[in-house]
Amino acid sequence: MAIPVEEAIAALSTFSLEDEQPDVQGLSVSLSCERYATNSPIEYGDVSAYRLSLTEDTKAINQLNTLIQEGKEMASVLYTYRSCVKALPQLPDSMKHSQADLYLETYQVLDLEMSRLREIQRWQASAASKLAADMQRFSRPERLINGPTITHYWSMLRLLDVLVQLDHLKNAKASIPNDFSWYKRTFTQVSAQWQETDSMREELDDLQIFLSTRWAILLNLHAEMFRVNTVEDILHVLIVFCVESLELDFALLYPERHALLRVLPVLVVLATSSEKDSESLYKRVKINRLINIFKNDPVIPAFPDLHLSPASILKELSMYFPNFSSQTRLLTLPAPHEIPPREMQEYQRNYLVINHIGAIRAEHDEFAIRFASAMNQIVILKSTEGADGEWSRDVKGNMYDVVVDGFQLLSKWTGKVWEQCAWKFARPCKDLTHIDTNKSTASYFDYEKVVRWNYSFDERRAMLELISYIKGIGSMMQRCDALVADALWETIHVEVQDFVQDKLDVMLRSTFRKKKDLSRILSDMRTLSADWMANTSKAEPELHSMYQESGEAKTNTFYPRPVAPTAAQVHCLQFLICELVSGGNLRKPGGLFGNSGTGIPIDDLKQLETFFYKLSFFLHILDYTATIGTLTDLGFLWFREFYLESSRVIQFPIECSLPWMLVDHVIESRDAGLIESILMPFDIYNDSAQHALVALKQRFLYDEIEAEVDLCFDLLVLKLSEIIFSYYKSCAACELLDKAFIAASDDSEKYSVQPIRFNEILKLRRVKLLGRTIDLRSLITQRMNKLFRENIDFLFDHFENQDLCAVMELQQLLEVLKLTHKLLMRNLELDSFSLMLNEMQENLSLVSFSSRLVTQIWTEMQNDFLPNFILCNTTQRFVRSPKGANHTTQKASLPNSKAYYYCGNQDLNLAYQNLAELYHEFFGIPHMFAIVQLIGSRSLPLIIRALLDHISNKITTIAPRISGLQEALPKAIGLLPFDGGVAGCHRSIHEQLTWGMKTELKTEALHNLKEIGSAIYFMGLLDIVLRESDTTQFIQTAPWLGFITGSDGQAKQVHGAEGSPIVHLLRTATATIVSNPTCPNPSSFLTMSKQAEAAELLYKTNLKTGSVLEYALAFTSAALDKHYSKWSANPKTGFIDITTSKDFYRIFSGLQFEYLEETVINQSKNHDILGDSVAWAGCTIMYLLGQQLHFELFDFSYQFLNVAEVEGATLMQHGAAKSSVFSQGYENLLEAMRKARRLNNHVFSMLRARCPLEDKVACAIKQSGAPIPRIKFVNTVSAFETLPQKGA
Amino acid sequence: MARAGGITNAVNVGIAVQADWENREFISHISLNVRRLFDFLLQFEATTKSKLATLNEKLDVLERRLEVLEVQVNSASENPSLFI
Repeated sequence: MAIPVEEAIAALSTFSLEDEQPDVQGLSVSLSCERYATNSPIEYGDVSAYRLSLTEDTKAINQLNTLIQEGKEMASVLYTYRSCVKALPQLPDSMKHSQADLYLETYQVLDLEMSRLREIQRWQASAASKLAADMQRFSRPERLINGPTITHYWSMLRLLDVLVQLDHLKNAKASIPNDFSWYKRTFTQVSAQWQETDSMREELDDLQIFLSTRWAILLNLHAEMFRVNTVEDILHVLIVFCVESLELDFALLYPERHALLRVLPVLVVLATSSEKDSESLYKRVKINRLINIFKNDPVIPAFPDLHLSPASILKELSMYFPNFSSQTRLLTLPAPHEIPPREMQEYQRNYLVINHIGAIRAEHDEFAIRFASAMNQIVILKSTEGADGEWSRDVKGNMYDVVVDGFQLLSKWTGKVWEQCAWKFARPCKDLTHIDTNKSTASYFDYEKVVRWNYSFDERRAMLELISYIKGIGSMMQRCDALVADALWETIHVEVQDFVQDKLDVMLRSTFRKKKDLSRILSDMRTLSADWMANTSKAEPELHSMYQESGEAKTNTFYPRPVAPTAAQVHCLQFLICELVSGGNLRKPGGLFGNSGTGIPIDDLKQLETFFYKLSFFLHILDYTATIGTLTDLGFLWFREFYLESSRVIQFPIECSLPWMLVDHVIESRDAGLIESILMPFDIYNDSAQHALVALKQRFLYDEIEAEVDLCFDLLVLKLSEIIFSYYKSCAACELLDKAFIAASDDSEKYSVQPIRFNEILKLRRVKLLGRTIDLRSLITQRMNKLFRENIDFLFDHFENQDLCAVMELQQLLEVLKLTHKLLMRNLELDSFSLMLNEMQENLSLVSFSSRLVTQIWTEMQNDFLPNFILCNTTQRFVRSPKGANHTTQKASLPNSKAYYYCGNQDLNLAYQNLAELYHEFFGIPHMFAIVQLIGSRSLPLIIRALLDHISNKITTIAPRISGLQEALPKAIGLLPFDGGVAGCHRSIHEQLTWGMKTELKTEALHNLKEIGSAIYFMGLLDIVLRESDTTQFIQTAPWLGFITGSDGQAKQVHGAEGSPIVHLLRTATATIVSNPTCPNPSSFLTMSKQAEAAELLYKTNLKTGSVLEYALAFTSAALDKHYSKWSANPKTGFIDITTSKDFYRIFSGLQFEYLEETVINQSKNHDILGDSVAWAGCTIMYLLGQQLHFELFDFSYQFLNVAEVEGATLMQHGAAKSSVFSQGYENLLEAMRKARRLNNHVFSMLRARCPLEDKVACAIKQSGAPIPRIKFVNTVSAFETLPQKGA
Repeated sequence: MARAGGITNAVNVGIAVQADWENREFISHISLNVRRLFDFLLQFEATTKSKLATLNEKLDVLERRLEVLEVQVNSASENPSLFI
């Protein structure tokens, strides 16, 4: 009890209520009670306290208001009426006997619906008679009672509006008469057995007449009104009131304005159709004023999807009201479809939001700034103790002005949306041919014509922008409701008090001094609203200190009180002002404030008028929340009951739904400025759901909306994540493109990505949707995680459908994806990329060293790369052999490959594709880098092992081929004779190579040799790449491990007793920390120093990596051991046996010779299939068998070359004449041989460098002088010896 | 005079109106503060929801990571022979 309320509330603000969520949605919560100040929450029960003899008037107002409420409910019943007949079942022939039962059931179902219609019929009859009676009572010229008041006018107009709407609905709904006739048929069937049906029948006929007569309600009202001929006056007054209000357009919010516009034509018809002089109306209102109003608004919204047009109403009614048909000037107004094209343009300009959006944008920006600054001032004021009174009043007055402006802006904007909708409904899209030529115009729903195709691209954009403005301003104003409420009340209080205490005082003393009756009214005004005590009570302690001011008691200052006048006070004040200016005379010519006859000076009249209209706006301000709710309610954009009925469908697809169209527009256009408004259209759904439940009270509508929202939201999340993903992807792709390349290209803009701000969207943790709170961020995160996995999967699939060369593309795309992930991680909490990659590679297990990628690479190598690719030694590349078998599983082109699976957008995709194409045709060092990077050190051993096994397998495979070839050779092959010259040599070689029958063996041997060679070369490439990455790592770690370059160029480790630099550094740091007593918990530092030691150990061992190539050669050598005895004849003598034909080098030499010969004969045949790999394999095997020197001495080709050289030299001596003869036929062969020799020399030199044998061979001579034929060299400590050999 | 009604007992009405202003000041004060309380609760709910969502997100990430680790550990412990 001890804590004052104010303090307790203020204490709440100490809670931290910050939150990252941006405001991109409209109002989510609006708490409101059913009755607002605008129609007095206590039904004007307090009016009688003011003793103004308004009891009758108040009673009438309340009666009318009740009728209005009921009427609105009736209207919503009619509006949401859906045909029951459509749902009625048809009986199959087999059940015809139970037709009677069906009739009964049908009757019962329809009876329920029809009883509602009957109720409407009854209600309208009573409402019409009550309204008519009311009008008659209050229009007696003799004025027995006070009234009607302005509030009363409004009630009459509103009730009239409800009746007109009801009539209009009844006319427009075709399903109602349909259902009725069905009902009547079943009634005749069912009632056959009943008695006493006459009264029911009569009732039915009545209802039928009511339902089938157009404008039945109005006709009825007309009849009721003119029973007594006194209502013209009040009709005239109402018309004048309407016209004046519309022309002034100050205090009207859009719902009121639309209501007046709807009622006015009907009022005019009623007023001019009386028996009396129909022209008398125009004495009070010039006909041009009416025509102007009708012309300005040729289309008026009435229901969400139904509009009214004054011109059409007038025309139609003229048939029912004969007196009215003489009003030719009103009847010649063009209906919306008759407007001539030139004026059409004019209207179009006015109705379409797109033509105003520029101005609206400026208004919005300006207002947002003004409102924010006014708010800030209020906050400053609240935090200032003992603020200056005048300043405080200024600030609050300013706030009040801003709020009034805000309401007017909102009203204008929402009105614009309504009007544009009405206009669009009135002007359906005619030209549908450009949309889809396959569909005839007739196959479109009408609703599609008026909504879906009726909004152009820019119109949708403008609409979305406007909706965002409305919702944005609405929620901005709503949020500070409680903050500004007292300031607003206070200002209103000031305004009222200022008027009644000061201005009236002046008037009383000057103008009205002589006029007793008028001054009485003025003093009544003062009595009922003046707050005199506010002047005197300022010193009283119970009043709030916040409003304390040090003002000296000036005569005209009064103490502001944060209390607003009640609805009854406003009502009475308005009544008294009207009395004052009209003199209580309904027949007074001219308008309300037209200066005629009352003798009030213009200045006073102006003041009275201003105050009068201000009064009516006060109530809107007092209803702050409710007014904002009405003004920002855009739910009508969803409703389409009329079109549903006329199209005979249950519901339209969501593409026709305006809210979804707007969401879709944002997604499709990817407009950076609209992205943050993407949730605004969902507020439309919120509004329409609210409307369906609260105003229309129809559960089924809510269910339909809910279903649509569910669908839309799912689609939104899906599409939104896709565009976010593709946006970030293109950003990543763009960043990874070579900058120099972009700068050099002509159309570099193509490759830059327009920035879009998604980060605000990504912060949305609570989206309010139909009362549910949705965590959009987590939904998007989920989808993103899924998209990344799908993308990785897709890339692997893509790779698996291509050959090994595509590994570059895979690496590029994975890089892009990785960067995308990195960029997205700034805003979202995604799974780590390596984790996802491992998951998709099926490589999560700690003990698995294989992976999807490794398997694929190896399969590809085994099946395609090794057999079909040929090596080019010069370029260090493998290329696909043109003769080789094509990739068997190639190019099963992937379905539905979306752009965002590659690089985000088409241009970037193309750029990357071009880039990847450069690497598509060969396999070289870049590919090897890609493989090493993708597979990583974890799975690389698997590939190496597999390759080595492959080599050993191939060696086993060629062994029988080789022995087959060995057998075909003669036992001894001597040196080539020099005397025969080149040609003789050639002949003699052919004599010795007797493989004529063994071509198959030969090719097989060659192919296998090629594969071995390729594998070895592959290892060589791998070695180069690994060396490079090892070196990089070494350079990075060396300083930490304390390596420096020694004087001999070798790295050596230097550090003292304290260990390597990294260990030393962390150790000393830890020691310092531990010795410092202020450190509470040094354990983490101790751990860190231990970790440093571990790291040192790890990296140190990494430095001593062996060479893959050397290892592979050693392995090959071991694999050759088995065949050693067969391929290398042990000379019995211990010396070189130059004639042996069993050695491997002989075979290879023969193979090489024939192969070269064939190449010369047919340029493309062999080389295209085999490439340089054969030489690699042959030389390696010979080298490892220790036959290099033999080969170089005894090879056929080498000898041939020698012969040719000698011969050439001899010929040179004898003159060049014969040289041409000599070289003929052999030139090409010689050239090929030279090339082969060069290649072999290259291979041998490489082998000597990487796997030195010579010195071992050299020392492998026994002391006796006999060489040891074969020694095991130990240059690699042979890890392979510990490896289990396959098949061993 | 009948026309403009006219307050029949102006002094009494004046006194009542004055009392009404004062009473209503009290009511407005109370109702405004109730509304502020309500506003606070709404805002509190909203921000709390956001904070809980943030927490939830973090827990989610942790949970998923744990799951992966569990799978990895399981895969290892199911094949103990590999570690001998």
